[in-house]
Amino acid sequence: MKTTITGEYIKEMLSKGLREDGRKFFDYRPISITKGNLPQAEGSAEVNIGNTKVIAGVKVSVGSPMPDKPDEGNLITGAELLPLASEEFDIGPPSPEAIELARVVDRGIRAAGVIDLKKLFIEEEKVWDTFVDIYVLNYDGNLFDASTLAATTALLSARMPRYENEEVIREGNLGKLPTANIVTSSTFATMANKLILDPSGNEELFMDARITIATDESNVRAMQKGLSGGFTANEVEQLIDLAIEKSKNLRQEIKKTIGE
Amino acid sequence: MAKSEKPELMVNGKRLDGRMSGDLRHVRIESGVLKNAAGSAYVEWGNNKILAAVYGPREALPKHTSDPEKAVIKCRYQMAPFSSLEEHGRTGPNRRAIEISKVTKEVFENVIIRENFPGSEISIFVEVLQSDGGTRAAGITAAAVALAGSGIPMTDIPYAVSIGKIGEHIVIDLNKIEDNYSDADVPIAISPRQDKILLLQMDGNMSKEEVSKALSMAKESGKIITKLQTDALKAPYLKISEKYKNGAPSMPQQPQEQQPQQPK
Amino acid sequence: MQRIVVPGEKLEDKPLRIDEAFIDNGKTYSTIMSMYDDEKKVLIPLEGLWYPRSGDSVVGVVQEDKFNVLIIDLDSPYRGLIFAKDTNEDLVSGDIIEATVKELDKTKTVILGRPRKLAGGKILYVKPSKVGRILGKGNSMIKQLSADTQTYVVVGMNGLVWMKGGKIDLCTEAIVMIQQEAHTSGLTDRVKNLLEMGK
Repeated sequence: MKTTITGEYIKEMLSKGLREDGRKFFDYRPISITKGNLPQAEGSAEVNIGNTKVIAGVKVSVGSPMPDKPDEGNLITGAELLPLASEEFDIGPPSPEAIELARVVDRGIRAAGVIDLKKLFIEEEKVWDTFVDIYVLNYDGNLFDASTLAATTALLSARMPRYENEEVIREGNLGKLPTANIVTSSTFATMANKLILDPSGNEELFMDARITIATDESNVRAMQKGLSGGFTANEVEQLIDLAIEKSKNLRQEIKKTIGE
Repeated sequence: MAKSEKPELMVNGKRLDGRMSGDLRHVRIESGVLKNAAGSAYVEWGNNKILAAVYGPREALPKHTSDPEKAVIKCRYQMAPFSSLEEHGRTGPNRRAIEISKVTKEVFENVIIRENFPGSEISIFVEVLQSDGGTRAAGITAAAVALAGSGIPMTDIPYAVSIGKIGEHIVIDLNKIEDNYSDADVPIAISPRQDKILLLQMDGNMSKEEVSKALSMAKESGKIITKLQTDALKAPYLKISEKYKNGAPSMPQQPQEQQPQQPK
Repeated sequence: MQRIVVPGEKLEDKPLRIDEAFIDNGKTYSTIMSMYDDEKKVLIPLEGLWYPRSGDSVVGVVQEDKFNVLIIDLDSPYRGLIFAKDTNEDLVSGDIIEATVKELDKTKTVILGRPRKLAGGKILYVKPSKVGRILGKGNSMIKQLSADTQTYVVVGMNGLVWMKGGKIDLCTEAIVMIQQEAHTSGLTDRVKNLLEMGK
């Protein structure tokens, strides 16, 4: 069942300090993370934030290094806004929204060094390609945070295939994909001159601007501001503090899921 | 990777995964798993993991695809790039997926009462999250549940299964390895009420008698698959009914007995 | 006795004219998920869509305002039309309206009359198959809901419910409960309890 609220109603409530689902401005909806849902992939994770549902799958294959980084493996991130996730998503080549989503998730993972790409070197002209694919299964806002959580968890719990005699061994006794950090993101929206965390689908319909801040334990690793509205420098500073604060719990959820 | 060695698919009448020739893999069906879709279903069929969802009936777009007499059915079957145990898959539709989408659509054109919705479209999406042989059959079985759960009127709930030939054995429900090395593969969809075959494909080498054996095996398996489909559809309703089995429960006196707030 | 039936499930071994059912080879089958009452010989839909009938009251959103006609989104396969001559209201794209089905034209476009703008408030989408239960016998359920929550509620047969003012969250909760539990017994009492506790 879908619920729609008019923009006026949302803004009227915000001005009274309320949100449509009863949350405080800087509360997340309930978050659940599970890993290993798709055991044939090297890594996988499903994340639910409220009614938003995404799944991430990791595949690792033999590829060639980039010419400027001959001793490093590759990270290739994709995202699909599947038409089964929302009335608004269409069949066809990836939309600008899907490409933005994939690139923002990719930047966070890459910048935070979640994967240790140097350890993905096999031999001259041969490295491991790590494919992370994000599948959006149900849309109800804040795909950035859900996708980053899913991608990070899938990577941290991924198996590492072996390369033996020109063959990739994907089953049996395998080690783990070499990882070195955890990244999470917090996405904020502004509307009616209020700042809120984790915008729902209804809220995203009426927000003026959006900002995603990806952090590790202490530092900012990627940011993306979206839509036509704006934020003041003060607001950005305030939101960075909040994002680092919120990342504690998100990181904890990931660690709990991967069993650390 | 090296796949030249053909494994022994049947030893003493038993298959690689321990099944006998007439055994289906373990099948689990859940209805109504996605919030936004009009109807949805999740099917685990052996190692296959498949999501199906239905949108519509809604205005058919672009306009020239619409039919003033009845609803048009659109279907997309797609395999996730991380769905297989082997290499990362290519994204985007390929010829195989487009063909499967077409034959799936045709199955449902038979059972949906399309005349009720002239000018509109009904979209069926099948996403294979993990694949291990027989994904089109599992996808059709899932899509049928998604459609029935959406309230779109239908004359039946079809199901599908794949029958194969291993050596001289006719076996049901090939998994990936069996499919790769089998002597024939026959995906079949059936409308059980009408006792009609709505999808039939085949490649390999079979005698007429073997085809007829395959068809009767597919029919036989319907007893199991149809029950799983209908049970999945009824389950959410029975769960709520069960809660209030003995008529109206007495009025809770204590505030702590209050149910937690449903997410809205 | 009532039992849950699925599309294609046999209701009767003889041909009977029942809404949402069809007859094949002298037998009667359901077309949708329903409760079948085999004494009253009726199907009570659990899942189902809205089929517009003249006189139906609907809630919709103005999708396009053209010079002599308004196109109304009714969240259904049927698009609504309001001719400019039929309204004095100043309606623009995005407005929520209540209107009555005047007639259906050959292309199954729904011609609407007597539109009324519903300003502010919020919309809840419910299953059209549950609208009857939300309204109650002689609109008794919705009147009770509205009185107890002080919320102004307009229920469209097409499954759109518009609400404004009062204890709107409690009202929403009650409607969601009615929708989920429409097929169970003792629902009226449970709704009463919910509203009592929410007061």
